[in-house]
Amino acid sequence: MSPPAIAAEGLTKRYGRARGVTGVSLTVERGERFGFLGPNGAGKTTFIRLALGMLRPQEGRVAVMGHDLATDRMAALGEVGYLPGELSLYGSLTGRRTLEMLARLHPRPPVLRDELLEVLGLETGDLRRAVRQYSRGMKQKLGLVAALQHDPPLAILDEPTGGLDPVVQLRLVEWLDARSRTGMTVFFSSHVLAEVEALCDRVAMVRDGELLLVRDVSDLGLGAMRAVRVRFSEPVARERLAVVDGIEDHAVDGTEHRFTLTRPPGPLLAVLGTLPVADLVVAPFSLEDAVRTLYRPGAGNGSAA
Amino acid sequence: MGVVLGLSLVRARVRIAVLAVGFGLFELVVALSYASIDQNAIRSLVETLPPALKAFSGASDIASPSGYLGAAYIHPVALTIQGALVISMASAAARDTETGAAELILSRPLQPWRWLLAQTAAVAIALAVVAGGGFLGGLLGIAVVDDLGGVSGAHLLVACAGGALVFAALAGITLLAAVLTRGGARAVGWAAGIAVVSYALNYLSEVWTVAEPLGPLSVFNHYDPGVITGTGSIGAGDWIPLAAAAVVTAVAAHVLVQRRELAGA
Repeated sequence: MSPPAIAAEGLTKRYGRARGVTGVSLTVERGERFGFLGPNGAGKTTFIRLALGMLRPQEGRVAVMGHDLATDRMAALGEVGYLPGELSLYGSLTGRRTLEMLARLHPRPPVLRDELLEVLGLETGDLRRAVRQYSRGMKQKLGLVAALQHDPPLAILDEPTGGLDPVVQLRLVEWLDARSRTGMTVFFSSHVLAEVEALCDRVAMVRDGELLLVRDVSDLGLGAMRAVRVRFSEPVARERLAVVDGIEDHAVDGTEHRFTLTRPPGPLLAVLGTLPVADLVVAPFSLEDAVRTLYRPGAGNGSAA
Repeated sequence: MGVVLGLSLVRARVRIAVLAVGFGLFELVVALSYASIDQNAIRSLVETLPPALKAFSGASDIASPSGYLGAAYIHPVALTIQGALVISMASAAARDTETGAAELILSRPLQPWRWLLAQTAAVAIALAVVAGGGFLGGLLGIAVVDDLGGVSGAHLLVACAGGALVFAALAGITLLAAVLTRGGARAVGWAAGIAVVSYALNYLSEVWTVAEPLGPLSVFNHYDPGVITGTGSIGAGDWIPLAAAAVVTAVAAHVLVQRRELAGA
């Protein structure tokens, strides 16, 4: 059996007062599409830089594609395509020259370059221009081509859709989905929860440098959960709904009640039929809702797998 | 490694070309001005200067053709041109780490020491080109100014090589500063500060007997182009300390860059 794409054990990295990561253990299997979620400063980029050997952990170890970063970093990097979250390119080089230069630093040939240029909408004319003339979105596209042009077995993408317009974001997610089916492991951090939900098999959530949970997207139970908002024509006590099984995070604001429903809606509808309902909105529970719930101050931590 | 070497040279190509041409023109203008001076007047002027000002002219006879032409290679303009080149190029590692450009390169399978070695080679090539520009300017001056006809082109070449060795030492110091500090501005600041202190130390050692024993600690103490242009040689007591400073600092930088974290938080 092949070793995991990423195997981190107890990774800890602190920077004085600044947060880093603390005791992060995480395994990403080959061929997985893995989403890494967290707010700014949660430790996502620090973890990624540790996984690339750009930073050294104070504790713990990490292996990438079976190569221990502490002893065999070059072999590991030969199998990785990486897009930094804070992309910095050489402004005086043209787009074409940038891609060629970065391709020559990688042992794998840039077999996917043309395909990626087409998917991301970078044209020949764009590549002839100096990178300093590029918009943020164009730089991001160039960075993506540079990271993925080698058809790397492991793609590590830090905020890959930043600066891209929605159409290109969608095309990128579809392209990554297709590549992952041919064996590419995709590990990416993102704030765009919809794309993580659409693409990923599993997600990890970090907060304050600690891993909150690692779950299959399907195991988050999002399919059965509903975000409910009910507005009554007159104030209704919270206790009137307490009889319904599966209501969580119940908030009341005047005549409006908001809560999460984790069970089938039949009993709720039966109770609501006895109350003066003025408006009712029942929406599928999204990953965004789940994250909001998890990141709520004082929310209990889930277990990391 | 060749990719990074090429990248470093491409990024600095305009700087290298401008400084090489500027250095050459400066040396040519100095050489051309020799035809218009009264050698005896210069000599007697220098003799009347107080030691604090006379120290700027070095140990050679500044009114002689070789002394006059050679002194131009330690003129503040010549020093600034070469100093600006090596400090700006040798601090690139710190600047690229600060901006994140290093992250893009070093996330490829390239050892940090090889990355730094390529940048070191680029500094060496650029320094050779700029020093070469200065040499060609002086050589052209020798060719067109009759009074400088007696100056040996080979001796001038040795003087320029000696100057390059001084700035190779400064490049090594800058590389070390770039590896030890966070941020390009800090690396430039440290390197420029060390260069200025070194220059001041050399000057003080020549005008103040108390400071004289400290003179050899300055890289500029080991370089007197007026004398070299006349004799055509650099003493072992001068080139060995300069070469050692360049090699030791550069090797230390290459060892330390392997241990350095090449990205921020």
